[in-house]
Amino acid sequence: MEIDKENVVQAVVIMDTFNSHFNPIINNKPMGLLPVAGVSLINYILEALAQGGVGETILFCCQDGQKMKDYVRQCTKDKAIWSLTMDVQVKMSDTCQTMGDVMREIDAAGLIRGYFVLVGVNTVTNINFASLLEQHKQTCKKDKGAAMTLVYKKVAWEHPLISSDKPIFLAADASSNKVLIHQKYKPKSTEKKINLPLEVVLSHSEVKLHHNLADANIALCSPSVPPLFSDNFDFQTRDDFIHGILINEEILASSLYYILLKGSQYAAAVTNWKTYQTVCRDVLHNWAYPLTIESGSFSQNNFLFMGNHNFREKSCTLSRSSALLEDVLVGAKTHVNDNTVISKSVIGKNCIIGNNVTITGSHIMNNVVIKDNCKIINSFIDDNCDIENDCTIDSGTIIASNVKVETGSQLKGNILESTEKDQEKLLFKSTSESTEWDNESSGSGGDDFIGFEKNWNDSDSCYSSDSSAETSILDSPVPDDTNIFLQEVIDSLARGYEEKLKCDYLILEINSSRYAYNIQLHEVNFFVVRALLSIPVLSESKNVLSTVRNILQYFRPVLANYIKTKSSIMDCLRAVEDSCIKCEWLEGQSGLILKLLYDADVVDEDALLAWYKDLQENNSLIVNQKSLVKFFQWLEEASEESDESD
Amino acid sequence: MSPSQGPVKKLDDKFVDKIGKFVADIKNGKLKGSNNVALSMVTLLENIISESQHATAYELLSLVRSAGRRVAAALPHQLAASNVARRILRAIRDENRASANQSGEASGESLQRLVLATSARRATIGTTHHDLREPLRDHIAELRTELESSSSTVCSAAREHVHADELILTYGASALAERFLRTAASRRYKLILAEGTDVQESHAMAARLSAAGVSVTIISSAAIFAVMSRVNKVVVSVSAALGGGAALLAGGAHAVTQAAKYYSVPVLALAPLYKLCPIHASDDSHFNTLIAPTTAIPYENHEVGDVHVYTPMYDFAPPDHITLFITNLGGSSPSYMYRMLSELYDPNDYTL
Repeated sequence: MEIDKENVVQAVVIMDTFNSHFNPIINNKPMGLLPVAGVSLINYILEALAQGGVGETILFCCQDGQKMKDYVRQCTKDKAIWSLTMDVQVKMSDTCQTMGDVMREIDAAGLIRGYFVLVGVNTVTNINFASLLEQHKQTCKKDKGAAMTLVYKKVAWEHPLISSDKPIFLAADASSNKVLIHQKYKPKSTEKKINLPLEVVLSHSEVKLHHNLADANIALCSPSVPPLFSDNFDFQTRDDFIHGILINEEILASSLYYILLKGSQYAAAVTNWKTYQTVCRDVLHNWAYPLTIESGSFSQNNFLFMGNHNFREKSCTLSRSSALLEDVLVGAKTHVNDNTVISKSVIGKNCIIGNNVTITGSHIMNNVVIKDNCKIINSFIDDNCDIENDCTIDSGTIIASNVKVETGSQLKGNILESTEKDQEKLLFKSTSESTEWDNESSGSGGDDFIGFEKNWNDSDSCYSSDSSAETSILDSPVPDDTNIFLQEVIDSLARGYEEKLKCDYLILEINSSRYAYNIQLHEVNFFVVRALLSIPVLSESKNVLSTVRNILQYFRPVLANYIKTKSSIMDCLRAVEDSCIKCEWLEGQSGLILKLLYDADVVDEDALLAWYKDLQENNSLIVNQKSLVKFFQWLEEASEESDESD
Repeated sequence: MSPSQGPVKKLDDKFVDKIGKFVADIKNGKLKGSNNVALSMVTLLENIISESQHATAYELLSLVRSAGRRVAAALPHQLAASNVARRILRAIRDENRASANQSGEASGESLQRLVLATSARRATIGTTHHDLREPLRDHIAELRTELESSSSTVCSAAREHVHADELILTYGASALAERFLRTAASRRYKLILAEGTDVQESHAMAARLSAAGVSVTIISSAAIFAVMSRVNKVVVSVSAALGGGAALLAGGAHAVTQAAKYYSVPVLALAPLYKLCPIHASDDSHFNTLIAPTTAIPYENHEVGDVHVYTPMYDFAPPDHITLFITNLGGSSPSYMYRMLSELYDPNDYTL
């Protein structure tokens, strides 16, 4: 295959999402092999790239690279259609923890020759990448600093792609489509105001505001993007990059543009279980045509269309008395028995579904056996699971591969995974998690396609939640670097509090110190909280508690940035413990400080209880403090009350 | 030994690569239009034949069949490609028979011989081991000329069917229909163009025809029935002409032919012979192929989650909706299409 190297369109596919939204499913297989409507994500993206005129693709894997490499090699051997027109390389790096690391690695390896397409593996799209990249090049001719063109699809505000993901607010210059403001909100944010700086309006004749954009995780990049990532080591995600460029436009001499997709172009990203279901449905409804349920396979027309967007593979067998209601996909060699009713679900290959089973809004992968009288609603069941008779599996239960569910089990929003692959034992993760996974009951009444609800780990937390890490930070002597780091954080925060600096800048400062002293993320979490409680103002103040309250209120965004996951909450609590022991001004106040943190929603009840248990086990110095004991009494009473009121 | 009964021959890797490249070109949109697809399929099969190691009829038949099958599996909607494979299979069979006859006794044509010969053509391939590649080259060249000239041959019939002051209706954009109507432009007829699913393409075609001197009126496809009573003839280009005299038309065209039937307006279906397929109305795999619903409803609406939108790629027009097929052999009525089928293809090759 001799192609003119200069004109080949290059694409970089980031094969990981760097978050835990799909745990535990992607613990066992790479994200690229997660099937959406029966087709692995990697097949969608490779076919989309090949059809979109891309000639060379770099797949960048941070985990499970070998599996991906084998898969791609196998496809090339089988002469998949994309492999004939597109050169696919698999790059691996275990050290990369964020997208920023990936871009720095790419820059260091010099893999990019010119303009390129940057997509995530979770993108499903049918756009023509080559022509969009050409548009980006035209933009670059007008503006030398144009670094990136973001690709968005405009959808209705109520559309599940927006409402279950992070909504974006975007302000742009109407004539050039240059992005001026880009903000991401928390999911289901109730914020009713937007802030638009006056100079944005004054310096542009016409400003467009968009609030209803679905981010498909596609960006068209100039050659300057990887070096920009290298120069700014605090860019960890694409959002950091966007944010950084917009804040420091003059310094970095770069700017951002955006493109809206037109009518027939489809683009969406699978970011969580809800968007997973939305994309599944869109594929079944042919919105992503020519990407279909048969993408990636050479021979087509293997599915029979049965009306109501039900598709079945030619080799599957359906009992005469079974019913497929709507939006159902049944894979090859699957057998569905009598009186079984399936709707809005995807069933994989070689499954056996028993009698009188009801399956609604669920995703069942390959080789699953479901015995009689089961009810499976809004759940995900991975490969090779066995579900015995009379089980009820409901509201966002996730079952990882090789799990056996006992007869008559009632599962509601649990996560199950087998502890040892060969022993097929089952493990209920801490029950507290079930509340997080609970289905949102208020969700658009009666819609059984709600899908899985999950608490939102912010995607830019790169720290893999290893909560069982028993390495108590307290026991280990604090090394010099961390001491300096702590001092620096205290200084920054104190200065920020005095001069009323923006919390965003403080986060930036803390992040730079973090890199300078090479501090692990969980240590950062610890030290930030530690520093908050050690600001010099406190030691001077007379009413410590009200000052602490003020400080917490002021630094809420900083806390929100670091304290997100369960493990970070534990870090936070450990820091409180440490502070209460070491700082004399907090003596005897631990319970009250916890109360403040609890009221500010920084820590949650489950974490508090778990931590309290740890304290008791470790015989910590503060465990018998009056205020602490009182606080936990209060907490228990409060939770009992709330239980009763339910 | 009939190759249609034996297992499918496994293709060489180099051929698989070539077919894959062909499929990729079509999928990636580098190759568009059924005529272009048919022509490149001829080139592909010609390459495969000339590079094959054995050149006996049996070998060649298996080779072309498996190549055709592979293309048909990957591109079920490019019917022209599999039709070309069938045409070449027929050429191989004919050539084999001719050489078998030559080597046997002196060829004397008689009625009896013709009748007997058909059975030989149908069932088995003779045991002769001639190199068929040389004579096949002529057949392939002939086929290529036919494909190249087919649209101009079809269009040359335009002046027979379109007359002055007539009101012609066509549906959607189609290169062949456009050429046909342009050829008849000197007749000073009036054209009504009903917008197809791709409105922009329809408008562009109307603009080009208007520039060529045809008076064009664009109507929405919702108004087809209302104007049909005034129309003299309907001209549509088919996606595929079926063996039973039916046709596959662009999605939405059923409304046109149905209205024409109601008002007894003649429907001319432009069908170059490479679009003639040995499939029948009972094979449902082609009749409910769906494409993206964007032409019907924009994706922006969040209600799209709750509705089922069906946008079929083809519409099926039954034989009684079509008055005349205009092929490159002239006009033929739907009831005669079965005959064309058996003239063009060998019955053994109907299923590749």
